[in-house]
Amino acid sequence: MRTQRRVESAVAAIGCLLVASATFAESECTASTAECVAVGSWSFSVALGAGVRTNPVVHGQDIPLVLVPQFSYYGKRFFIDNLDPGVTLFDGESNTLSLVASPGYDRVFFYRSDLQNFFVFSPMSFAGGSGATGRPPPALQETPATPHALPQPARKVTYLAGPEWTFKHGSLTGQVDLLHEITGRTHGDELRAAIGMPVGSLLGGDLNARFGITWKSASTVNYYYGYPGLYAAGWALNPFIKLGYSRPLSKKWQLDAFVHEERLGNAISDSPIVDKHYVTTAFIGATYIFHQ
Amino acid sequence: MHQGMDVRGSSTAFRRAWTALAIIAGLSIAGSALPASGPADEDIRLEISPRICTLTGNEKQCATPVRAQWRSKHDESLCLVILGRPEIRQEVRHCWEHYTAGTYTIDLVFTEDVVFQLRDVSLDHVLASEALRVIREAIQYRHRRRQPWNIFN
Repeated sequence: MRTQRRVESAVAAIGCLLVASATFAESECTASTAECVAVGSWSFSVALGAGVRTNPVVHGQDIPLVLVPQFSYYGKRFFIDNLDPGVTLFDGESNTLSLVASPGYDRVFFYRSDLQNFFVFSPMSFAGGSGATGRPPPALQETPATPHALPQPARKVTYLAGPEWTFKHGSLTGQVDLLHEITGRTHGDELRAAIGMPVGSLLGGDLNARFGITWKSASTVNYYYGYPGLYAAGWALNPFIKLGYSRPLSKKWQLDAFVHEERLGNAISDSPIVDKHYVTTAFIGATYIFHQ
Repeated sequence: MHQGMDVRGSSTAFRRAWTALAIIAGLSIAGSALPASGPADEDIRLEISPRICTLTGNEKQCATPVRAQWRSKHDESLCLVILGRPEIRQEVRHCWEHYTAGTYTIDLVFTEDVVFQLRDVSLDHVLASEALRVIREAIQYRHRRRQPWNIFN
């Protein structure tokens, strides 16, 4: 009930902001820029480099990052941004409201073949099977007998959907997603919110910083990190920080690097199948823009 | 007094109407005798293909082969003139003598409408005219998705 009230309050607040912003919206996109894109256009780029995403799951191997493909298409209303399709309901000068669908994130730690790991393709991405490492499923440390043999519940691909509000205020960009699982696996909710800002220039490139949180309802956390009769998780709040650097090298090439640090909420880090409190994702590479 | 004035007024109106009709008739006769921009000859049909070039996205010019085809019920001596391209206007002229039909194909690069005209051999009379229109598709823009939450964006 409390969660529902929070969601309703947030939706009401977003609605008020949109109405207010629509009133003051003065100009629209008139050219292709970093902020704007021509309707009907698509882009595709691939970053080739070296990086890693640490795996907080017990015995879970870190996920190497070698190729990072990025794809997007923008229609008048419809868009697809990698694995996230969406429909834009309102596109104003400073605020945009869309309905989006996005895959559940946590599965990447359990299945190397997860689609989200395709978008950070590594040579071992399709080793297959459950367990992000291809090794036996993670053990439960507290299990008294034969913990390594304990069967792991299947964690299916899930999709969440809901409203997304993005905004720009000065040099700040923001994003708030209120998502509900729609594939009938977790029946959970998720709140994704973040703020991004430029922090300066360095060696001809731009530095930027981002801060954000991911709130996951108990049913979402339980689906990935709980265990029937052994561990029942509550909701979790994961804050993160990211520092990124981007420098154009030519018309088609640019240098990209970032470090992303996420702290796992207590309900996740307390799980017996998790042995780390943080997930670090770092990457440096050259991005080739095939089409923009 | 008022009546008289009305009669005189009617008489003046009649004179003005006749004068106007006479002017219109005179203009019509004179217009038919004008050499360069008179109405096209209805016996001669000119067709061009394509008739429209649509510029989409970032396209700045049309580049396409264009075929002009004409036919007439009678033998004609005429020339095809392509307007709208002054730099080669004198070159793009193709003439036929005593033909009932003709076809001319040319590769064109253009950014504005191009007019194809059939004229008599003296180039004074326009016998038929067709325009190849350039339509610029209006480009709409929208915001990219702002996604600070995403790790890889």
